[in-house]
Amino acid sequence: MIDITINGKGLSVERGVTILEAAGELGVRIPTLCHHEGLPPEGSCRVCTVEIEQRGGKKLVASCMFPITGPIAVETESDRAVRARKFVIGLLLNRNPKAIAINELAKEYGVTPEERFASEPDLCIRCARCVRACEINGTNAIAPAGTGFGRFVSAPYGQEPESCVGCASCAEVCPTGKITYNDTDGARRIWEKTFDLVRCARCGAQYATKEQIARVGTGEEDARFCEKCRRAVFGERFKKS
Amino acid sequence: MKKLAGLDELRDYRLSVTNDGSLEKPHIWVCGGTGCLAWGSADVLAAIQEEIASRKEAVTAGLRCESAGCHGQCERGPLVEITPQKWIYHKVRPSDAGKIIDYALRGDPAEPTADKNSFTSGQTKRVLSRMGRMSPRSIDGYMRLGGYEALERALREMTPEEVTAAVSASNLRGRGGGGFHAGTKWESCRKSQGGVKYVLVNGDEGDPGAFMDRSLMEGDPHSVLEGLIIGGYAVGAAEGYIYVRNEYPQAVANLTLAIDDARSFGLLGENILGTGFNFDIHICRGGGAFVCGESTALMASVEGRPGTPRVKYIRSTERGLWDAPTVLNNVETWANVPRIILNGPEWFKQVGTEGSPGTKIFALVGKVENTGLVEVPMGATLREVIFGIGGGIKKKRPFKAVQTGGPSGGCLPESALETGVDFDTLTEIGSMMGSGGMIVMDDRTCMVDVARYFTGFLEGESCGKCVPCREGLVKMRKILSDIASGKGRPGDVELLADASETLADTALCGLGQSAPNPVLSTIKHFRDEYDEHINEGFCRAGVCQGLFTAAISDACIGCGACLRACPANAVRGEAKRLHAVDARGCIGCGACLDKCPVNAIKAERRSAR
Repeated sequence: MIDITINGKGLSVERGVTILEAAGELGVRIPTLCHHEGLPPEGSCRVCTVEIEQRGGKKLVASCMFPITGPIAVETESDRAVRARKFVIGLLLNRNPKAIAINELAKEYGVTPEERFASEPDLCIRCARCVRACEINGTNAIAPAGTGFGRFVSAPYGQEPESCVGCASCAEVCPTGKITYNDTDGARRIWEKTFDLVRCARCGAQYATKEQIARVGTGEEDARFCEKCRRAVFGERFKKS
Repeated sequence: MKKLAGLDELRDYRLSVTNDGSLEKPHIWVCGGTGCLAWGSADVLAAIQEEIASRKEAVTAGLRCESAGCHGQCERGPLVEITPQKWIYHKVRPSDAGKIIDYALRGDPAEPTADKNSFTSGQTKRVLSRMGRMSPRSIDGYMRLGGYEALERALREMTPEEVTAAVSASNLRGRGGGGFHAGTKWESCRKSQGGVKYVLVNGDEGDPGAFMDRSLMEGDPHSVLEGLIIGGYAVGAAEGYIYVRNEYPQAVANLTLAIDDARSFGLLGENILGTGFNFDIHICRGGGAFVCGESTALMASVEGRPGTPRVKYIRSTERGLWDAPTVLNNVETWANVPRIILNGPEWFKQVGTEGSPGTKIFALVGKVENTGLVEVPMGATLREVIFGIGGGIKKKRPFKAVQTGGPSGGCLPESALETGVDFDTLTEIGSMMGSGGMIVMDDRTCMVDVARYFTGFLEGESCGKCVPCREGLVKMRKILSDIASGKGRPGDVELLADASETLADTALCGLGQSAPNPVLSTIKHFRDEYDEHINEGFCRAGVCQGLFTAAISDACIGCGACLRACPANAVRGEAKRLHAVDARGCIGCGACLDKCPVNAIKAERRSAR
C-alpha cells in the first residue's frame, strides 16, 4: 500500500491505482469527459488534469491515467490545475457550444465562449469513447480519421461499416449525444446502416439487432426473449422441473 | 558474398579489404546524395566513368570513380571529391570530366583542399567522417574505413553489461532532441523483465530544413546498422526496427541493401559470427506524419495502428513496442555507438561539454552564406557555427534571429550568439536542441510571421488526439494571423502568451508540449515587433502584406530592378538615377525589397490611415 494525499487528505492505496480512482474513494470529485469507467482510459480531453508533487517536483498529469507507484501529493483544484482545466473547457466550448456536458462544465468553472474563436458548431468532442467501446466489443467498426482539427470519428472510408452489428454501444457512451440512432418498427438505423430488430416473444420489446445476437452467439431458444424475460421464462421452467 | 562464420573470419576479411591497396589509389567520388542527384550528379558520374574507360592511363593507374554519400553541402552540388588528396570540387558539370580525371592523375595546381574552405575546416567530423569518401552501397567500402570493427570488439571482448556500461560512461545523450542519456535507457531496458525486447531507430526526420538523418541513412547506412546490432546485443533484443520516412526513397533503398549485405555476411541472423547471438533488423516505412517522430506514436505506427501518441506514464524501456521493453534512439545516436565502443568513452568525451559530450550534426539553413550539414563539438557557439562555418549572413544583411530545434524550437536573438550550443544551455535560454535544425534569419524576416508559420505547420501536423493541441493551436494561429494581417487587438500578445503557456503544460505528447516555443520565444525576444503590428499596423521587416510602405534610400544605384518588380507601378525613376516610391500607390507587398541588389529599400511606417 502507498500513502498519498489528495487536497491534503491522507489515503492508502494499492500500487497502480489511478489518481482518479483514489479521489473517488475519498469522495473528491474530478471532472472528466473522455473517461468512462467501462472503457480503457485515453487521457485525451485533459479535463481531469490535476497537479501532483512527486520527488520534490510539481507537474500536471491526467488523473484518469496516472498510476500511483509512489508517495505523491495531489491537488485537484490548484491554480495551475484549474487554469489548465479552464483552458481546455474554453477550447471545447468554442467548438461545441451546444454540447450540454461542456456547457455544464463551463458554468461550473465560469468559462464563457469566445466569439472570435468560434468555429462551425459541432457536438463531437473527439473523446473517442465510441471508438473504444466498439473496440472492446471486438467489432472495430469505427475509428478516428483525419488529423489535427480535422480529426473525426468515421466508419472505414465513410461507408457503411461492414463489421458494425448495430449494438449502439457507441451512442450509449457518447457524452454529448453526437451519435444517434433511430429505431422504427422492426428496424434500427445507425452509421447509415439498417439492422433488423428482434422482438421479445414474451414482452414484445425490440431488444437487440439480429446481427448483434449472431455476434454474441446467443442460442436460438434463448434469443427469442429479451434478457429480462429470459430469466423469468427459464426460471419458471427450472421451478417446474 | 560468403557468410562469415566466426569473429576471426570477420577480422581477416576486414583486414583483407583494408589492405587491398585501394585506399592509396586515386579515386573520384561523385556525391550521390539526394541534393546532388537533383543537381544532376548521375550525369557527372556517368561522364567521368565513361572518360576513365576511354583513357588508357587512367585504367593503368587504377583510377576508379564511384557514387558516394552526401558531403552536406548540397547547395553547391554536384560535389566531387578526389581521394587520397581530399580535394573537393563544387558545381561540377559532366563537361568537367576530363579536367577532374587530369587532377586525379596528375594533381591539381590549385589544390582545392578542405582547409581553404571554412565550411569544412571549421567542423569536427566524427559521425560524418566517412561521408563522401565511401560508397554507401558497399559493405567492403564500409569495412575498409573501419566498419564492423566495433561489432567485432563488442562480441569478442565485451559482455552486454560492459557494452551498456561503456555507453553509460560516455554520457551519450539522445541526438533526436530529448537529450536523454542513452546509457540510462539501455540499462533500464536491459534490466526489464521479459524475454522479448526491441531496439528501434527513429529515422522519422520531419523538421522542415533538417536532413542530417537522411544523409546518414543514405550515405553511411552500415554505421546505423552496426550501432543497432551492438545495442541489440547490449540490451538483449533479438529484433530491431528502423523507422524511416517513405519520403526518403534513397535512404530506404540503401538501408535495405545494407541489411541484405549484412545478413549474407552473417552479421545479422541466427548465431551471429558463431557467438550464439541472434539478431535481425526490419525496415518500417513511415507514412509521412510529423508526429510519428514522437516515440509512442512511432511505436503505434510500427505496430500497424494510426500514429498517435499515448500517455507516457510508463517508460518505453519497460513497456514499449508491443508492450515489450524497448530502446528507441535516433539515427545519429545509433551512429555514435560503434565509435564509442571502438575508441572508448574517454575518447568520446574529449570533445563537447561536460554535460553534453561528443559532436552534434546541425542542418544549417536559411539566410546564411554556406548552408548544409555541419558537425561541431557540443558547446560550439552559435556565432562560430553561423558566422564561422556558415560564413555569415547572405548579402551581408544584419543577423536577426536563429531558430534551433526544428519547428517547435525557439527563436534566439543576437544576444544569444555567444551561447555554446548543447542540450542544457539551449533549454535554459528558451529553445531546444531538437534534432539539430538551425534556421538563420536576417532583418527581412518578420518574427510574427515566423511564429505564425511554425504554429500553422504544427497545427497541420497535430494528430488531433488531445484537446489542447488540437484546438489550442488553431486558436493561437488565428490570433497570429490576425496580428500579421493588421487585425491584431490590444491584449492579443497576453492572450497568446497565456494560451502558449497553458498548452505547453497540458498537451499529451512532446509535439504539443513544445509547440508554443516559437510563439513564446518570439514574444520574449521580439516583443517590439508584435506591438508594432498591433498598435501601429507596421511590419518592420517588410513581410506582412500591407503593413508598411517601401522607401528607397540614397544608396540606390538606379538599376531599375524595383521598378520592374513593382506590381502597382508605384516606383518612379530614370535609369542610373535615384528612384523613389509613391507612398500612395505602394501596396506594401515587398516585391521591390526582395529585388534590390544593394539593400537600398527599407520598410517604413505607413502615413496616418
